[in-house]
Amino acid sequence: MLIKILGSGCPKCNRLEQQTREVALELGIDATFEHVKDLDRILAYPVMTTPALVIDEDVKVAGRIPSREELRGWLVPQASR
Amino acid sequence: MIAAVQGGLASLASYLAAHVLLCLVPAFFIAGALSALVPQQAVVRFLGPEAPRWLSYTAAAGAGSLLAVCSCTIQPLFAGIYRKGAGLGPAVTFLFFAPAANILALSYTGVALGAQFAIARIVLALAFGIGIGLIMAVLFRPDDAAQPADSRAFAPGGGIPGRTLAFLAALVALLIAGTLKVDFLNAGLLRLEIPWPGAAAAQAALDRWVPADAATGAEGLRLQGAALILLLAMIGAFAWRGIGKIEDGFNSLTPATLFLAALTLVFAALGTDVSSRGLGLTVTGRSIAVLALCLLLVPLARRFEAWDRQQWLWETWRFVQLIFPLLVVGVFLVGVARVFIRPEWIHTVAGANTVLANLAAVVFGVFMYFPTLVEVPIARMFLSLGMHPGPLIAYLMADPELSLQSILITAAIIGKLRAWTYVGLVALFSTLSGLVYGAWVDGASLPVLGTAVVGFVALLVGALNLLEHNRKVPA
Repeated sequence: MLIKILGSGCPKCNRLEQQTREVALELGIDATFEHVKDLDRILAYPVMTTPALVIDEDVKVAGRIPSREELRGWLVPQASR
Repeated sequence: MIAAVQGGLASLASYLAAHVLLCLVPAFFIAGALSALVPQQAVVRFLGPEAPRWLSYTAAAGAGSLLAVCSCTIQPLFAGIYRKGAGLGPAVTFLFFAPAANILALSYTGVALGAQFAIARIVLALAFGIGIGLIMAVLFRPDDAAQPADSRAFAPGGGIPGRTLAFLAALVALLIAGTLKVDFLNAGLLRLEIPWPGAAAAQAALDRWVPADAATGAEGLRLQGAALILLLAMIGAFAWRGIGKIEDGFNSLTPATLFLAALTLVFAALGTDVSSRGLGLTVTGRSIAVLALCLLLVPLARRFEAWDRQQWLWETWRFVQLIFPLLVVGVFLVGVARVFIRPEWIHTVAGANTVLANLAAVVFGVFMYFPTLVEVPIARMFLSLGMHPGPLIAYLMADPELSLQSILITAAIIGKLRAWTYVGLVALFSTLSGLVYGAWVDGASLPVLGTAVVGFVALLVGALNLLEHNRKVPA
């Protein structure tokens, strides 16, 4: 699984990455993380606001930090596929 | 040297006591709520390429005041609006409006400089932000025609939920009740006296440490102010664990921190006086209003899920950590600088509302880079040293809008030519803002000023259209 965090490196973005890593670890999911900081690459996705979370090239959330329950909901079905 | 340090400390003490509490404490909580609880899609969906022009400019201004409290939002949102959304014009409006219209800047300006400056700042920034956006859109129209649009980014994402609106309204009401200078809020309702014979002596000691000086505008420090600084320090100490560790859930210090913050606000809203017998406390309309609103916030906050409340406090604390230390250092340095600046210099350069004075203020604003909000104490120092309100507004418009750093970032996104055109327009319009506001303060009538501004903008737009027309003919 490829997890991308889109963000300029602001505290909110770092927190999203940390949160996602923790949930992935807790679920025992083997994922590759990438923190995309390049503005051109961020804008290639359909997002206007950061931080954004992209799981296997699908934008899950933009502009806010999701709760752990939401993160679990996104990570589990992807992993079982 | 000692005088300079003392000046800095005195300026810091009187700022913390007089201005910061009743305005910045609620303002930080509001900024946190805006950042954590307002779904960005609620505004962003109006910024798509198909949105009607009037709506996109209005939404760009709205985004500037609602979403841009965080600097990590400004850059991607600006680039996004420009490249994928409504285009250069609204993007520029957003960029221009954001630093002047966010809740922290606005409430701080209102309390430190007076409500009329806050109103002038937001009205002028709105008018000229949209004006500059329209001009930029006209200037660069041919290049901006075709842009790939991705409508998914602007999908309707629902509005702002009612509970968020109610919560924000109560927080804003708290901010206003704490700061608004009207009679029924100031009227004393009940007076208590605490017998404390040492009160007068303590006040005299404070007066010695932090002397008030009307000539330079230095404020003294009252006993109440000293108590408020202590309370503020206590909030900071509690918040370190109570709110700083909010990621791991609520802990026992969280409610204690919030209770202490509410207590501080209520205490700050009391009237105090010192006599030979003791300390008199007067309960005013303001104290009642602040207390009632703090109590009202509890059930309103409970309507959110725990996660949302946690997010709100996390964002609030992040703003405090980001802005407060810089502000403290800034205010201290302003106090030091004040010792060295002679009022005559300010009088000579910007004592009257002339074009030159306004230009000088704008140039100072462009070349000096101060962190967010520090422009306000600097403006206050200039005001107390005798700067005319016109050039002061010109400075307040130019300083947060333009700095070398922001110009470089903008250039990277929209290109050098556009960025420098934008800089030129901001400098021009900031000067104009100063002249207009200065003339209004000096007693010019509103219709005359309105006609002059509309005429000037019409002339500018007309000339630009003509230029564009001429450019097309030979080609």
